[in-house]
Amino acid sequence: MLLDLKSVQKHFGGVKALSDGNLTVNPGEVHLLMGENGAGKSTLMKIVAGIQRADAGEMIWRGEKADFRSPAEATANGIAMVHQECLLAPHLTVAENIFLGREPNKPGGWVNRREMEQSAARLLEEHHFPLQASWLVSRLSPAQKQLVEICRAIQHGSSLLIFDEPTSSLSESETHEVFRIVKTLRDRQMGVIYITHRLDELRSVGDRVTILRDGKTVHSCPLGELTTGELIRHMVGREVSAIYKREPVTPGAEMLRVDHLSRKGLLQDISLAVKAGEIVGLAGLIGAGRTELCRAIFGLDPIDSGEIRVAGTRIQIRTPGDAVAAGLALIPEDRQKSGLATGLPIQHNLTMASLGAISSFGFLNHAAEKSVTSEYVAKLRIRCSSGAQLAGRLSGGNQQKVVIAKWLARGAKVFLFDEPTRGIDVGAKVEVFEVMDQLARSGAAILMVSSELPELLQVADRILVMRQGRISGELPGRTTQEQIMRLAAMQEQT
Amino acid sequence: MIQRLLPFLTLTILFVALAIASPHFLTDTNLSSVVRQTAVINIMALGMTLIIVSGGIDLSVGAILAMGGLLGTMALQKGVSIPLAVAIGIFTGMFWGFVNGFLTTRLRINPFIVTLGTLGIVRGLTLIISNGLPVHEIPARFSFLGEGNVLHVPFVLWILMACAVIVHVIMEHTKLGRYAFAIGSNPDAAFYAGIAVPFYITAVYAIGGMLTGLAGMIEASRLMTGQPTAGQGYELQAIAAVVIGGGSLRGGEGSVVGTLVGAFIMGLLANGSDLLGISPYVQQAIIGAVIILAVSFDELRKRRMSS
Repeated sequence: MLLDLKSVQKHFGGVKALSDGNLTVNPGEVHLLMGENGAGKSTLMKIVAGIQRADAGEMIWRGEKADFRSPAEATANGIAMVHQECLLAPHLTVAENIFLGREPNKPGGWVNRREMEQSAARLLEEHHFPLQASWLVSRLSPAQKQLVEICRAIQHGSSLLIFDEPTSSLSESETHEVFRIVKTLRDRQMGVIYITHRLDELRSVGDRVTILRDGKTVHSCPLGELTTGELIRHMVGREVSAIYKREPVTPGAEMLRVDHLSRKGLLQDISLAVKAGEIVGLAGLIGAGRTELCRAIFGLDPIDSGEIRVAGTRIQIRTPGDAVAAGLALIPEDRQKSGLATGLPIQHNLTMASLGAISSFGFLNHAAEKSVTSEYVAKLRIRCSSGAQLAGRLSGGNQQKVVIAKWLARGAKVFLFDEPTRGIDVGAKVEVFEVMDQLARSGAAILMVSSELPELLQVADRILVMRQGRISGELPGRTTQEQIMRLAAMQEQT
Repeated sequence: MIQRLLPFLTLTILFVALAIASPHFLTDTNLSSVVRQTAVINIMALGMTLIIVSGGIDLSVGAILAMGGLLGTMALQKGVSIPLAVAIGIFTGMFWGFVNGFLTTRLRINPFIVTLGTLGIVRGLTLIISNGLPVHEIPARFSFLGEGNVLHVPFVLWILMACAVIVHVIMEHTKLGRYAFAIGSNPDAAFYAGIAVPFYITAVYAIGGMLTGLAGMIEASRLMTGQPTAGQGYELQAIAAVVIGGGSLRGGEGSVVGTLVGAFIMGLLANGSDLLGISPYVQQAIIGAVIILAVSFDELRKRRMSS
């Protein structure tokens, strides 16, 4: 047995983040750690990695009682964590990042650069990582950055590696690459703890599973013993249909039309149309230009040529301000970075795009703001203590609802959803889908980017597939993952 | 909650302690001199609050204060009426605030760098215009602005209160104020929400400049000179007042009441040291330590709140 956690507890102020955390990991095992956001997975892992300390309970590491007081202590004992948000120094090279904090020295405290670069190169080659030791980390893709973190863990001689939602920002092929690496780590008798939300991917990587709910370990068993339905039931504590399927409505008038839109090197001759009541999926690999297309339509990036029409009227969009004025809304891929002001109250976020409607001569009407807030909090069932609560303290799903509510309050008619369910747990995902469905039913047109194919198949009425900056095909909503992948990845279709 | 009230508490304790320690503290002359001394920094700090809330910073306010005061007093020297001269001072400040806002938003240069640059430019221009010489020929009535009383209360206190109310209303009750918080808290989210970020940032710097111009005229009135070297180091005092009052240099946080308290804490510390015969050298060190203490308490509070 590598790691054994027994009834670990952790409080933050009056909030109990963990009340009974139990977990056993063996060498040569990929252990899935599952649970909704707020279930206590991250807290449990932070305790293992020495980032936080438990209030009570026991941790046995390689047969001995352990209590790591700092990440450095955990690292020294062979525990490494690959973080969801990348913790690398962007201006340093791959080699420098791998050896950060333990550079090979020459006498006098000088760094032996050559040895460092050579060992980094050896490490990369040994594991068939598609990286060069001399590359700057700031130029790497999210997937490549994770490879660097994994390298760092291997180099440090770790025997337990914790992955916190490693594939949430990766494309399909990159995900498979991460799986391949996880399996080689397992084959070297390392222990792997793998936190994930993606039900579709876990079967291909996990051996055992432990499920947390409300700070307690509720179930632990070999993965094969559970069906996906049972897994979800353990996670949410109630029956949830994972197989959400939207009933399409008869589309109305054309709300968004893009004709021959191009942006040098990124988007080539894109034409598409979305009608009122429709949810159109946009599939493709990372880098295919889906996010870039949303950004271009929304005025975040300039376009070289092409026309955009909203509700039949041709409009010039130079800034997001123009797009918003025309009735467009963007729910960005990175909620924390560009969707939400996490340090401000919910109601300030909610009215951010529609202050004009609740103010006269520049002066705000606080009563009107309150009533708008409570209207949308109720409508979207945003779970919060009040509109004055800081947006950053909501769960991912509720944060996303605040972002959507911001656009509802503005009266937007065309919604661009970029990865709407990223970092959101199963139960909340379905709620986000339901909100999107209601939006469409009330006459909105929705363009939805998603890297999770099952999700697109559940929600979209039809699916556009992008490849290398072009739209490579259109598929009906009831298509298959294989067909989408063929259009997304193949050079020529036959 | 206790920690949020900490600045108020500090101010009260300081006030009571000084009242006990020195018989000269609770006198009309002393208290009104504290008010007059802090008013200039205070009015600048109000503008700085808005700027810092929007995620910016303005290092050029000390230099702008000098140019506002100089151009205003030069106008007085030429026989311009006092209200018009004050307006000239305010307009000068607004102009440079606009320049700062324009450069940060259009050229997308970090405001720290932009205002470090304009600090040099404005100070240099002020010295060139005045040839390095102060303006002395000022009508005696002008001293009322900085030294006069209305209803037994220093006139500057009325001005300060009026400015504080206006800035408070801007921050809490107008679109401009709300956008300043939004931009300071997350500029990307504000831009994505369709807010005309460059316009509002420029407006914030312009308002800060206007208040600085006004402070420049008050300073000139108190000295009865248009001093081209006035206001050196004031920018740091203004920033310190905002920060002691709970403003965050990361943007999105700050309040008028906090800034007022912060400025008065610094004012009382200076006054108290004078009364108790503590050397000005020690004073500087004390104020420096207070800034660090205040901010560490605030950081602790936030960390406890977020965990």
